[in-house]
Amino acid sequence: MRFFFPGVSFFLSLCFFSINLFAQDKPGQEIRKYTISGFVKEASSGESLLGTNVYVKEGLHGTSTNAYGFYSLTLPKGNYTLVVSFIGYIEQQFKINLDKDVRQNVSLDNKPVETREVTVTAEKEDKNVQGIEMGKNTLEVEKIKTLPSFLGEVDVLKSIQLLPGVQSAGEGNTGFYVRGGGPDQNLILLDEATVYNASHLFGFFSVFNADAVQNITLTKGGMPANYGGRLASVLDIQMKEGNNQKFNVDGGIGFIASRLTIQGPIKKDTSSFIVSARRTFVDLFMGKPFVKASSNINGNKYYFYDLNAKVNYRLSDKNRLFLSSYFGRDVFNYKSPKSSFYIKVPWGNATATARWNHLFNDQLFMNTSLIYTDYNFQFEGGQDVFSFKLFSGITDYGTKADLTWLPDVRNTVKFGVNYIYHIFVPSNASAKSGSVVFDLGKILREYAHDGALYINDDFDVSEKLKLNGGLRFTLFQQVGPFDRFIKDPVKKTIVDTISYTSGQSVKSYHHLEPRFSMRYSLNHLSSIKASYTQNYQYIHLASLSAISLPTDVWIPSSDKVEPQFGTQYALGYFRNFKNNLYETSVEVYYKEMKNQIEYEDGYMPENSVNDNVDNNFVFGKGWSYGAEFFVKKAKGKFNGWIGYTLAWTKRNFPDLNNGNTYFAKFDRRHDVSIVLVYELNKRWTFGATWVYATGNLNTFPERLYFLSNGNIVEDYGSQRNNYRLPSYHRLDISATLYGKKKKKYQSSWNFSVFNVYDRYNPYIIYFDNKFENNTITIQAKQISLFPMLPSVTYNFSF
Amino acid sequence: MIPENLIRMKKVLIVVTAFIITGTIFSSCEKDVTVDIPQSDSKVVVEGYIETGQYPVVRLSYTLPFFGTISTLNFLQNGISGAVVTVSDGTSTDTLQEFLNYGIYFSTHLTGTAGRIYSLHVLVNGNSISAVTTIPQQVKLDSTWFKVDGSRDSLGFIWAHLTDPDSLGNNYRWFARRINHYQYGEDAGKIKDSIFITPRGSVFDDKFFNGKSFDFGYNRGSMPNSNKADDNNDEKIFFKRGDTVIVKFCSIDRAHFEFWRSEETQVNSNGNPFGSPAPVISNINGGLGIWGGYNPTYDTVIAR
Repeated sequence: MRFFFPGVSFFLSLCFFSINLFAQDKPGQEIRKYTISGFVKEASSGESLLGTNVYVKEGLHGTSTNAYGFYSLTLPKGNYTLVVSFIGYIEQQFKINLDKDVRQNVSLDNKPVETREVTVTAEKEDKNVQGIEMGKNTLEVEKIKTLPSFLGEVDVLKSIQLLPGVQSAGEGNTGFYVRGGGPDQNLILLDEATVYNASHLFGFFSVFNADAVQNITLTKGGMPANYGGRLASVLDIQMKEGNNQKFNVDGGIGFIASRLTIQGPIKKDTSSFIVSARRTFVDLFMGKPFVKASSNINGNKYYFYDLNAKVNYRLSDKNRLFLSSYFGRDVFNYKSPKSSFYIKVPWGNATATARWNHLFNDQLFMNTSLIYTDYNFQFEGGQDVFSFKLFSGITDYGTKADLTWLPDVRNTVKFGVNYIYHIFVPSNASAKSGSVVFDLGKILREYAHDGALYINDDFDVSEKLKLNGGLRFTLFQQVGPFDRFIKDPVKKTIVDTISYTSGQSVKSYHHLEPRFSMRYSLNHLSSIKASYTQNYQYIHLASLSAISLPTDVWIPSSDKVEPQFGTQYALGYFRNFKNNLYETSVEVYYKEMKNQIEYEDGYMPENSVNDNVDNNFVFGKGWSYGAEFFVKKAKGKFNGWIGYTLAWTKRNFPDLNNGNTYFAKFDRRHDVSIVLVYELNKRWTFGATWVYATGNLNTFPERLYFLSNGNIVEDYGSQRNNYRLPSYHRLDISATLYGKKKKKYQSSWNFSVFNVYDRYNPYIIYFDNKFENNTITIQAKQISLFPMLPSVTYNFSF
Repeated sequence: MIPENLIRMKKVLIVVTAFIITGTIFSSCEKDVTVDIPQSDSKVVVEGYIETGQYPVVRLSYTLPFFGTISTLNFLQNGISGAVVTVSDGTSTDTLQEFLNYGIYFSTHLTGTAGRIYSLHVLVNGNSISAVTTIPQQVKLDSTWFKVDGSRDSLGFIWAHLTDPDSLGNNYRWFARRINHYQYGEDAGKIKDSIFITPRGSVFDDKFFNGKSFDFGYNRGSMPNSNKADDNNDEKIFFKRGDTVIVKFCSIDRAHFEFWRSEETQVNSNGNPFGSPAPVISNINGGLGIWGGYNPTYDTVIAR
């Protein structure tokens, strides 16, 4: 393991450096300090509450709970009033005489329904101003369930698209772009496991069953050092832990899918489980008697499903164990009723995470994880004696340890180590005709070690100034077995092959990624924040289209592909009004992305068969800049937000567009989201969302010519992305009716209308040619996918 | 070639599925839109072929603006007249003669020979345009036959057995033509196909089966915008019992293959929401289009 030694010593020296630094905090003072720490959970279910505000009234020193509900405050000896508060829960206060270390576990009760305030985010009232985070948003799933849904499916990924700086990949699509970064530059984590393809049905639905999800956090700028591996954002999704107080069944029936979740204690107070399932039922209507036997869609079968399961054990007050997993598949099958033609296409993700939380002492918290994740896609088809199979995927085995050290009330130090072993399966194919097997090459796999060490300190310098500094050291090594095909630059035929044996280094990279952010309070209602982030990304998504598809292929940085490198500068002004009733912010950013990839002009998928996928790439850079405006009313019967983004996104590839800079396909000048929620009474809640986005760019032909076989050939001009589609806008509304509360059984109806004013938003534009009366007319035709669509969802719980 | 079709099916499938779920439950909406693309200058298009034993034929034309109405008259008038077109096989050079004033040029001296390299040179309005193509050695099909598809009673595909030569780098193009006559319907008495027609995916190379011996099949192609009855009913893409089909199986060089493969990809990707622009790869220096050599073999299949 020679590979990791330089890193370890580097890491150790960093730790010592920082410990020395922190030891000098308040030199010469002899006042003894003690620590108040504990876990905060929800009383009725026993679920950990993350992000709960914990502070002492005296001096307003505070913190918030981590992802496992743990908090720790180290303060000078004295008498304090500890306040534990979370929006939607009854605040609790404790008198504490701090003359020794105190353990204070807290259970918070939900506020009674009568005073329930629907809020979309749950944060400390002035957290947006006083926290150091920029470009970070947390959404609570229970709250987004009252927003309009698409076909009755509450979708966490579509909800985050309503935040400023986050763009939807397209009509009804769960894919997203953050601040000009590509879809592969978002790290999507489900209980710490990377989800490589987060969509079902080509993006119309995400793989996250809202019933199984507790919390979603999106970090789009100022990424702290504990996260890495992606340039644009981290979307951290936490699964529910399961109720450790009583058994609970939740379920629902929507327009296209039904859901069922069962949770309960294994042993009351100490362990619990949750199992959640979702499946579409459209395929059940695809056969008789709903569709005519002669119809073309007969023989089609499509469905998707998701399974989530999680158990957790509280081994002791200091040790907790979590096991969680996800399994989901999309399945498309077609068999021609008459002919011998068939297609089978399954694809999906599987993840598993085992985590152990350990509290060394009141100031040092550790989480260690073992993580497995797998994504694979397969396409199988045939006709008569022919059969053909194509498959691709990625599998990760990972482990990590994250430690949080809270030496005093002014510092939160995070450090840790992370290691992933990747196995990439880029496009592989096999085909045969009868007994003759075609030579589509041996199965190509690519292997890589991916390691990181980090340290990060969140430091309250003074009442006004807060600093966050971090350093991430990353190592990436592509190893054999691997065959590098050397191609003739003109003929494009393989002229030589370099073979690497198992474990032999193909190429290795190591980089330092500094992260820095600061907050300066102008007063208790306003602050200025700034951040600087550097990121390296060692995996790349080779995509033929602008949205993420199951056929997209993940590949590692290699001897051919250098790691993606991103630098982001952001500056923000945050201001609250009317006693924190209104939160506003303005953020500007500038971002540079190097070593971006695209397929070369004229690439066709079969070019990658029996070749290294990365032999077909061209390389370039991108940059984006913009401003995000955000106004939010977080409390009250009437709440919601308005987000507006003004942005520019550009690309430059020497081998594309004659080397001229061009606007990226998803360069959108204006992007607006308005989200409004109105709680009429305890039974009715209304929601509305309106989105507006400048149209995407497309490359349209400039001229044409005819061939003697009658075909029309389109000739693209010199300018890539030369046409902007019409703008996109849409209004959705919803009404949620909560059933009368019976003893145990609770229910709600959600009525949603998607695209209320029936806007024909462009999905694609294609060219139709008509031949009539000796003239040929070429007409551009716009296809819009979704007209006004009402839907109903019924949810129950007992 | 069916495996090639299957690779493309991947893209098609995505569209199909998206529309199965969305389109059949809720009809997706389609409307005409006006697209404003700045007027662009026109370019010279060359379409020329040379076959073994045949005289070369070259058509020159200008491109047209993408949007708008084009009359067929306009199309004919669009030919470039008065250009100087020469073809050379390395030893002799022939200046082609223009046929009427339609921009069609042909030779009466020089014919194609297998294994030779042919260079084309065009001088038009002071612009010099050139291209090179090779007529490869002939590769014959071992046998050809008709086979009914699945459980159908009279419709099927044409199949063939090919033994690919040992050396890598063979490229092929498939044409077929039905020479029997329609027995009934409004075209009764007319020959079914007046010319050789290519199906989609008409070109393939030996990248995946170099030196192998195997069966492959093709469906029946149709002309763009065909209004013939059997191009618009259940017989579309099928040959039928009773057809007499001539298969023209050609060996072509790499650049010629790339042109047709990219051209067919472009046709297939129009309207694909996930596709990216598919430029056609031309072998013409200084212009657009194709200068291609063919070495054909012919087989007759009687569908029984």
